[in-house]
Amino acid sequence: MDLRHLLFTLALVCANDSLSSSDDLLRWPQISKCRSPELETFSCYWTDGNLYNLTAPGTIQLLYMKRNDEDWKECPDYITAGENSCYFNTSYTSIWIPYCVKLANKDEVFDEKCFSVDEIVLPDPPVHLNWTLLNTSQTGIHGDIQVRWDPPPTADVQKGWITLEYELQYKEVNETKWKELEPRLSTMVPLYSLKMGRDYEIRVRSRQRTSEKFGEFSEILYVSFSQAGVEFVHCAEEIEFPWFLVVIFGACGLAVTVILILLSKQPRLKMLIFPPVPVPKIKGIDPDLLKKGKLDEVNSILASHDSYKTQLYNDDLWVEFIELDIDDSDEKNRVSDTDRLLSDDRLKSHSCLGAKDDDSGRASCCEPDIPETDFSASDTCDAISDIDQFKKVTDKEEDLLCLDRKDDDDSLPTLANADAQQPHTNTQSERSESWPPFADSSGSASPSVHTQLSNQNSLTNTDFYAQVSDITPAGSVVLSPGQKSKVGRAQCEGCTEQSFAMDSAYFCEADVKKCIAVTSQEEDEPRVQEQSCNEDAYFTTESLTTTGISLGASMAETPSLEMPVPDYTSIHIVHSPQGLVLNATALPVPEKEFNMSCGYVSTDQLNKIMP
Amino acid sequence: MALARAAGQAGPGAALALLWLLVRAAAPPAVCAPGDSGYLRLSVADLFDRVIRHSGRIHSLSTALCAELENRFPARDNELGKPARRCPTAGMLTPNGKEYAQKIPREELTYVILKLLHAWKEPLSHFNQHMEHHQELPDDSLSKAKQISKMVHELETGIEKVTEKMQSMGIISNSLHGMASSEAAGFSSTNEANMMSDSDFIHCFKRDSNKVQCYLKILKCRIMPENSC
Repeated sequence: MDLRHLLFTLALVCANDSLSSSDDLLRWPQISKCRSPELETFSCYWTDGNLYNLTAPGTIQLLYMKRNDEDWKECPDYITAGENSCYFNTSYTSIWIPYCVKLANKDEVFDEKCFSVDEIVLPDPPVHLNWTLLNTSQTGIHGDIQVRWDPPPTADVQKGWITLEYELQYKEVNETKWKELEPRLSTMVPLYSLKMGRDYEIRVRSRQRTSEKFGEFSEILYVSFSQAGVEFVHCAEEIEFPWFLVVIFGACGLAVTVILILLSKQPRLKMLIFPPVPVPKIKGIDPDLLKKGKLDEVNSILASHDSYKTQLYNDDLWVEFIELDIDDSDEKNRVSDTDRLLSDDRLKSHSCLGAKDDDSGRASCCEPDIPETDFSASDTCDAISDIDQFKKVTDKEEDLLCLDRKDDDDSLPTLANADAQQPHTNTQSERSESWPPFADSSGSASPSVHTQLSNQNSLTNTDFYAQVSDITPAGSVVLSPGQKSKVGRAQCEGCTEQSFAMDSAYFCEADVKKCIAVTSQEEDEPRVQEQSCNEDAYFTTESLTTTGISLGASMAETPSLEMPVPDYTSIHIVHSPQGLVLNATALPVPEKEFNMSCGYVSTDQLNKIMP
Repeated sequence: MALARAAGQAGPGAALALLWLLVRAAAPPAVCAPGDSGYLRLSVADLFDRVIRHSGRIHSLSTALCAELENRFPARDNELGKPARRCPTAGMLTPNGKEYAQKIPREELTYVILKLLHAWKEPLSHFNQHMEHHQELPDDSLSKAKQISKMVHELETGIEKVTEKMQSMGIISNSLHGMASSEAAGFSSTNEANMMSDSDFIHCFKRDSNKVQCYLKILKCRIMPENSC
């Protein structure tokens, strides 16, 4: 024993030295595993090792001992399980009892192991694997199959002595990694969505339900759809992510973006592609002014343009342009008739006109529509004491003297018999009565005449103001009625006894003519009326005086005086912005001296006056 | 005479009524299939299935708990230390193989099952108390142990009910009560159980739960005559 031990040890050492370089290391016999396939028998396997090639060949024994045994027993069956194995049949197997086995060679114990049979259960692989086709997809590319197998024949599953779990693994033929399914108790498993054009491999293994170790794999089952006779479609490789298309579209998008950026930077190109929309615009004018409705500013701006038209003006501006500058002292020099008429001072200085020739459109010479104030101013006139009656001519709403001819016939007789103190009203009777005062008083006839004249002129409130009669130094244009009055001076009769020996009174030429006509031709009153009413011209005092001396002369002159006053309606010269010169459309007015004319001035006279 | 005449007059009607009652008593309910034993066994099989499932869950829980405890407290290498692993039911004679389980009578097999379950009730409760005092163990293991203890109680109750049903059906005899008293000494004392480690204790129980499960399966197979158990 001791010698053998020494030899053995020496052999080991030598073997270690000699065999250290080689891959064949010294190995002891070992019990590789002990397993029970069905919980009824078990067997143990061991490896020999390299030892016995070198030393004296001995016999390795496997000894076992149960828990309640006192001695080791030898393996009952070395053959059934194969080489280097020990098989314990059912008679030697006690399930829930601890076993210990050891590998020994007489006195040497190589390996020892203790276990319990219920812990070493490793079932055999399932058998009889087969598959059947369940269904195929509509495209024929994929299909479902069902795989079924039988439990290992050794395991008594039917009686329930052992419960097994199965795990299926499958893969494509040319793949390397197996796909696993969850362990399950059933012996059939469906496999979904397999590619019909490919071949598959399937294998199954089993284990006891409560253990963790699996048994051996079954034989591999080959699944090939072509063999089953199923029609399938050979499908190309799976379409991978279309990187090519992504790159193309990305490049196109980038290019479009870059182009847009460049276009936005270059204004010319931008104008070419996105032409600007024309917006209404006038040079020099802020559109905001138009929006706000401030026509004043707009008009002032437009006035600076040469192409400005007067049509843009509304009616209110007519009034503006016809404004009269009363405060201008220069006018005193000119002694404009209209100024005198319009200003209260002039009313006072001169013989009271009584009637204000307001050429601002409100009143004319003939219009009796006179504000009360004017009459009050005229009260201061000393020479008009006789014509206080005119104070009462304040009723603007009554008809003008010249408008109603009904009372003419009635008033005519009264004119001859009228007193000087007859009240003067704006009625027809008033009109007709105005004359007798004139006739009675010579001295005061002039203002009365003038008032009468003015009253007569007031009859022509419907005149067409197309004649420029005066231009004030302020730049305003005074217009006068153009041609004729429809009615009016027809009633200016009854001045037969009027004496026109006035000094500073103003009266209409027409009135004088009327008087003359009346005196001369009484029976032609209507004619004279019409004649007189058609006339707007005014006589100067000198002319009146000259004419008054000899009525015949005046009569002779009247025809010339009866010439219609031309209408100045066409623009001759435009002195922008100071004024404009109007051209006469009718016969030229005979020149007259502009001295104290009755408010209207012809252009020629104006030209003389203007510096 | 009056009685006889009354009996004679009432005879046919009474006979008919009696006959009708007998037929009613003899015939099984309309729902049942012909053969009352099959009908009753079906319900027993269903009961057995439930009981088997319950025992299977117990076995799974004990396996998991044993694995957890062995990870914490590695078992000693020398498993052959028999004194160290002295299961509470070591003294019990139980069939250690399938043949033995098939050979013994069904009453004995049923009794073994009940005995096993009964033997483990008290040690498990002790074990639970012991585990609660142990602060090292995780709550998961403690809950498992408690659940195992509870389920063992439930399983025992269920098996007792199945046994009563079988006895009422005549499948097994009523001789179980006689056996119980003779096997009472087979239990190990609790002192030895306390000396065991927790992992060994649960290891023992795991094995016994597997026993119970297998016995129940065999018993079910043996009760069904169609199976060749």
